[in-house]
Amino acid sequence: MFIIRHTKQLLIFAVLIYVAAFGLIGYFGIPLGIDFTGGSLTEVSYEELPQKMVLEEALSPLSLGGYSLRATTEEGGREGYILRTRELSEAERQSVTNILTDAGVDGTVDRFTSIGPVIGEELKGKAFWAIGAVSLIIVFYVAFVFRGVSKPVGSWVYGGITILVLIHDVLVPTAVMSILGYILGVEADVLFVMALLAVLGYSVNDTIVVFDRVRENLMGNRNEKERVIKEAGVTRTETTYTLTRPFEEIVGESVSQTMARSINTSLTTLLALVALYIFGGAVTQTFALVLIVGIIAGTYSSIFIANPLLIAIARWQSKKNQ
Amino acid sequence: MKEIQREVTSRSITQIFYVVAVLVIGLAIGFFVYQTTANEASKYPFRLGLDLEGGSHLVYEADVSGVDSAEVPELMNVLKDVIERRVNVFGVSEPIVQVESSSFVSGEVHERLVVELPGVTDINEAVAEIGKTPLLEFKLVDESVPSTDNIQIDGNNVSADGVLTLDAGDLSGEPSYIDTGLTGRYLKHAELVFGQGQGGLSNEPIVSVEFTPEGGKLFETITTEHVGEFLAIFLDGEIVSAPRINEPISGGGAVISGGFTAEEARDLVQNLNFGALPLPIELQSTQTIGSSLGAEILGKGLQAGAIGFVAVIAFMLLWYRLPGVVAGVALIFYGLVMMALFKFIPVTLTAAGLAGFILSVGMAVDANVLVFERMKEEYFKGNDAREAARVGFARAWSAIRDGNVTSILSAVILFWFGTSIVKGFALVFGLGVLVSMFTAIVVTRTLLLVLPAVKESDNSFVSKLFGSGLNK
Repeated sequence: MFIIRHTKQLLIFAVLIYVAAFGLIGYFGIPLGIDFTGGSLTEVSYEELPQKMVLEEALSPLSLGGYSLRATTEEGGREGYILRTRELSEAERQSVTNILTDAGVDGTVDRFTSIGPVIGEELKGKAFWAIGAVSLIIVFYVAFVFRGVSKPVGSWVYGGITILVLIHDVLVPTAVMSILGYILGVEADVLFVMALLAVLGYSVNDTIVVFDRVRENLMGNRNEKERVIKEAGVTRTETTYTLTRPFEEIVGESVSQTMARSINTSLTTLLALVALYIFGGAVTQTFALVLIVGIIAGTYSSIFIANPLLIAIARWQSKKNQ
Repeated sequence: MKEIQREVTSRSITQIFYVVAVLVIGLAIGFFVYQTTANEASKYPFRLGLDLEGGSHLVYEADVSGVDSAEVPELMNVLKDVIERRVNVFGVSEPIVQVESSSFVSGEVHERLVVELPGVTDINEAVAEIGKTPLLEFKLVDESVPSTDNIQIDGNNVSADGVLTLDAGDLSGEPSYIDTGLTGRYLKHAELVFGQGQGGLSNEPIVSVEFTPEGGKLFETITTEHVGEFLAIFLDGEIVSAPRINEPISGGGAVISGGFTAEEARDLVQNLNFGALPLPIELQSTQTIGSSLGAEILGKGLQAGAIGFVAVIAFMLLWYRLPGVVAGVALIFYGLVMMALFKFIPVTLTAAGLAGFILSVGMAVDANVLVFERMKEEYFKGNDAREAARVGFARAWSAIRDGNVTSILSAVILFWFGTSIVKGFALVFGLGVLVSMFTAIVVTRTLLLVLPAVKESDNSFVSKLFGSGLNK
C-alpha cells in the first residue's frame, strides 16, 4: 500500500506544503479587500472604453491618495473599470462619479460600495472568530465521534490530526489567494471567508469517511478477551482487545476502500463549482476558485496527510511502549 | 422459482406504492414551484436580494453614547419607524429597514440601521432623502461652565421677551449643553404658524411643535426645574435658538423660531411630520448595484446552476449507471424541495446564496456516492442488488451523518457570523445539507429498493447496470 510504504516521504512533503504556504502568505500577505479595510469601490462601464491614462489624469486633482484602477469586463460584456479608493465622502463620491461617467461614451456607474473602517475592522475580527470557532467545534466533534476508539491510538489523536488537516485545507487556498492577489490584484472579500468556512465544513468529511472506515475495520479485526477478576470480594470483568492484523495494514485497507468515494464526492462538488467558476460571472469567481482549491486540498490531505500521520503516530507509540 | 417470484411481488407492492408516493410528491412540489414562478402575482415569489435585483443598501450607525443603555433598544425601534416612514415616502416597492446590533466579538457595541431600497440605484437621491429626516434635540445651556462666557450676548440677540437668538458669529467658543432627554422621539406633530406680531415674534414664520403626552410631561418637568435658564433647540446638531425659560410650560407644546424663511419653515414642518430622529445617525457604508448588472449576475448564476446540475447528473449516470439514474431523480427532487423552501421560508436569494445553492447541488449527491460505493462492495461480495442497497445504507449512514454534522455546524456559525449577505449563504448552505440528507434517505432508498434484485453472478445486461465506473 502506497501510503504505508511512503509514510515518511508523504509526511515530509506535507511539511513542505505547510512551510511553502506559510511562506507565500507571509511574503505576499493576504490581499484584503474593502470589506475588511474599509474604502470605496466604484465600477463603471462604457460603450467605448476610455484610456486608463485619461481617467488617471482626470482623477488626479481629487487627491484620492493611493487608489487602484483596473480594467474589467462586466457581466454583460461591457468593458469598464473598477476604481478602489479610500472611503469617499458624499461630495467626493459625486465628483468621482461625474469624472468617471464623463470620461467615455455612455459611462454608467453600475456598482458603488463604500464601507466604513469600523465595519471593516469588525468583520475582520468576526472572520477570525468564525474560522476559529468552526475549527474548534469540528475537532471536538471528531474526538467525540471517535471516543469509543482508543487502541492503538486514542480518540484525541484523531481529533488532533483533524486540526492539522484543517489547517492544511485552509492554508492552501489562502496561499493561492495571496499569489492571485500579488499577480492579478484579486482581493479577499467576505465571500472569501465564506468559502474558507465552507471548505472547513466540507473537507473534513473526507477525513471523517476514512477514519470512520478505520474505526469499523478496527472493530472487525480484533479479538476480544474477557477476564474475570476477583479483587477484595468484588468481581468485575475486564475486556482486552488485540488486533489480529497490524494497525497500519488496517489503515491502508481503509484508505483503499474509501478512496473511490472520497474522490467521487469531491468530484461531483468540483463539477458544480467549475460550472460556477466558468459560467457564474465575476462576483462569485474567486469564491468558486477558493472552494475548488480547498476541496482538492481537502481530498489530498484526507488521504495523503491524515493517514500517514495516523500510521506514524501509531508506530511511534508502539515504539515507546516497548 | 415460483415461491421466489411470489415473494418478490408481494414485497414490491408496498414498495411500489412508496415509489409512486415519492414521485407524486415530487411532481406536486415541481408544479408548485412552476406555478408560483410563472404567475407573477403569486403569494410565493422568489425573493431576490439587492445584488441581483439592483438597488441600494445603506448602513447607518446611531450615536448612542449619550443615552442610557437600557433605553437603546427602544430608541433604535423609534429610529427604525421614523426611517421606515421616510423611506416609504419615495415609493420603493419593498424597502427593508432593520436594526442591527454588532455582536460581542467587537468589544464595542455598535447600533446600526440597515436600509435596503430595491430598485433605487441613484444613491444620491436615497441618501439625500433619508438625510432630510431632522434630528431634533432640546438641550439646556450649561451655565456653570465658563465657556458659555464666550457667547456674546448683546441687545441684538435677546428680544424683548427674552428669546435668545444665536448665530455662528456669536459663538467664539464651544458652549456646553446638557442633554435633557427631550428629542424628536417625543414629537407628535409640527405646524407652521406666523408670529403675527405677538410677543417679539413679528411676522416671522415659526414652527410650533406638539409633544406626545410623555414628551409634554418631560418638557414640563424640564421647564419647571430650570426657570431662568436657556433651553437650546438643536436641529441636525446645529443650534437654531436658545430661548430663556420664563416659566414652567405645561401645554405640551413648544415653538421653534430661528429666523426661518417661510419656505425653510414649511420644509421643516413637513420633515418633522414624517418623524424626527431620536438619535444622531451617520452613514457608514453604502452599496449600489445597477439593476441591469444585477439581472446579468442572476442570469449567469442560473446558467451556472443549470450547467452544474446537468454535469453532476451526467457524472452520476456514467459512473453509477442504474443507481446513477436514482441519484439523478433524487437530485431533481432535492432541487425542487430547495426551491419550494426558498419561496416558503422565504429565503432572500443573493449572488452568494445562489453560489451556495450551486455548491450544495454538488454536495447533495455525496450521500448517494457513499451509499453506492458501499452498496457496490456488498454487490460484488455476492449479495443481490436489493440486499446490497439495504446493507449499503446501514453501513454508510454513520459516515453520512458525521460528515453532514460538520457542514451544518459551519453553516450555523456562518449564520451567526453574518451580515445579511453571509446569512443568505449560510441559510442556503445549511438547508441544502439537511434537505440532501432527507432526499438521500427517503428518495434514493425508496427507489433503490424496487430495482431488480439481480446478482452480479447473473452476468446479465441488468446486472451490469449495477457495476460502476470502468468496470464492465
